[in-house]
Amino acid sequence: MHPVLKVICASLLLYVAVFSLWVPMVPGLTGTDKREVKPGLNTFRVYGYRTHFSQSSASLQAFLEGDSVYYCTEVQALSDHELAVECVLPDTLSAPIMSVYVNNDTDGTIYLPLALRTAAAAISSGKDAGRCEVKVKNNVYTAFGFPFQPVIFESIRNLMWHVPMWFTMFFLMFISVVQSVAYMLKLQRKPSGEALDRQSGVTALVHDRRAAAAVSVGLVFCILGLLTGSIWARFTWTAWWTNDPQLNGALVVFLLYASYIVLRATVEDDEKRARLSAVYNIFAFVMMVVLLMVMPKFVASLHPGKEGTPAFSSYDLDASLRAVFYPAVAAWILFGYWLYNLRHRISRLQETAYEHIP
Amino acid sequence: MTGLLFCFICRVLLFREIAALVRKEFMLEFRQRHALAGIVIYVISTVFVCYLTLQRVDKVATWGALVWITAIFTVFNALMRTFQAEGQGVQLYLYTLVSARAVILGKMLYNALLVLLLNTFSLALFLLFLGQGITEQADMVQFFTGLVVGSIGLAAMVTFIAGLAYKAGNSPGLMAILGFPVLIPLLLSVVRFSLHALEGLPWSENRFQLLVMGVLTVSAVLLAALLFPYLWRE
Repeated sequence: MHPVLKVICASLLLYVAVFSLWVPMVPGLTGTDKREVKPGLNTFRVYGYRTHFSQSSASLQAFLEGDSVYYCTEVQALSDHELAVECVLPDTLSAPIMSVYVNNDTDGTIYLPLALRTAAAAISSGKDAGRCEVKVKNNVYTAFGFPFQPVIFESIRNLMWHVPMWFTMFFLMFISVVQSVAYMLKLQRKPSGEALDRQSGVTALVHDRRAAAAVSVGLVFCILGLLTGSIWARFTWTAWWTNDPQLNGALVVFLLYASYIVLRATVEDDEKRARLSAVYNIFAFVMMVVLLMVMPKFVASLHPGKEGTPAFSSYDLDASLRAVFYPAVAAWILFGYWLYNLRHRISRLQETAYEHIP
Repeated sequence: MTGLLFCFICRVLLFREIAALVRKEFMLEFRQRHALAGIVIYVISTVFVCYLTLQRVDKVATWGALVWITAIFTVFNALMRTFQAEGQGVQLYLYTLVSARAVILGKMLYNALLVLLLNTFSLALFLLFLGQGITEQADMVQFFTGLVVGSIGLAAMVTFIAGLAYKAGNSPGLMAILGFPVLIPLLLSVVRFSLHALEGLPWSENRFQLLVMGVLTVSAVLLAALLFPYLWRE
């Protein structure tokens, strides 16, 4: 790999490592102490994360939003992260579930979607009277901070680690399958049925070594992707593993390529190993595309990016995430390519140690 | 003119060669009857052990799992010898006679028939011993359709993997290691299809799974036809 690319790769990785962990989250709401609202007087607490309720208590406002917006009469900051709210709701409520909004000058408008259930007896059809709008304010950090998403919270930083692992794995497996096809084409160029002569047969093995190197590095990224994904799943879905088509597919892809390594280990003869593993590699790549890119699109899944949407479109709307995510993808792909080159050179050296190979 | 076209299509699709190879497989199987008998006994004893331990299965998922576990192991057992049965010499002889593509397609066709037969047999045994409590609500025609399509798909994929494992020295376990990840997508949709059928859901619920099975099977056959000639040459 060109030294300039190495420098770019290393500095991008440094940038990503620093910024993905260091950029602060924008303020947000984490929850309420009650889960249900009823007609009449409601009092509940609202909890914030990185908020400044006491500091800017003068400008505090709170709303509930269902089909209409209800202004909360009493909002008192207990601390920077805790609010006591009183809200009087009308006798008829049409929305079954409500979101909570809090406004102040420092944090801007922050909200907790679908936070409160309406007591079942109170729901009636038809719109309520007295509609008003939330005046949306910007926070002082708008240009500076990762978006605060419910459920995900701080773990949104994992976006810069988990997702590029899979991109890199795909990139490496693609290199690998291209090398395998190249090997087969080299074999085919000879007149039909006739074996390659010794010299060109040995030079064609370069593609085989490259394919194997790409798979072994790709497998490492696959393992890292599974680990980071598992940690993320524990945080957001409360389980290390869920029975999800995307997750199961990823595990099967790991098994597919692990058995590629096993297949290589069982065959002694160089050219035979090259031929067999090239055949299996092409088969495995098609299976991987089916498992990770086709099947999960048609099945209900918790994993983002399913049912027709690409995997990261919901995040890349936000500029602060984009500023770290795109460099992260570039950095990890470059890093994967670098490792693949090293792996290939090591295997070439290992073979030339025993016999002379051009 | 149409006759000529027909001849041409037959030639491209290797009909004649495949038919001859399938006939050869039948004869080979017939001469080695003991191998097939072994698998039949395996199926009978598996189902009978299930019956002895469970007596009666009321849960649809358990029943489906038993049927498919039996089916998978039957397929692996039956097709493990598919390349071994004929020695190196026969394969060299075949290589001079027909194209490699015809060899794999012929084997796939024969194995699909064999696996279909064995799986139908094991399904019949399951219905005989453990059918009570399941057949009342299940749509058995639908289930059988799933079994047919699934068996064909399994046979196609396992045949290809068996060829790969055979060329890699046929070390024990290699076929299972290579085959398991490759079969998973097919198995997932087959199992889902069967469960829907056993629960008695209408066909419209299952059409998509059938499509997935079909696409996977066809792609496996095409890939095998494309790649097998490279496996075959020495």
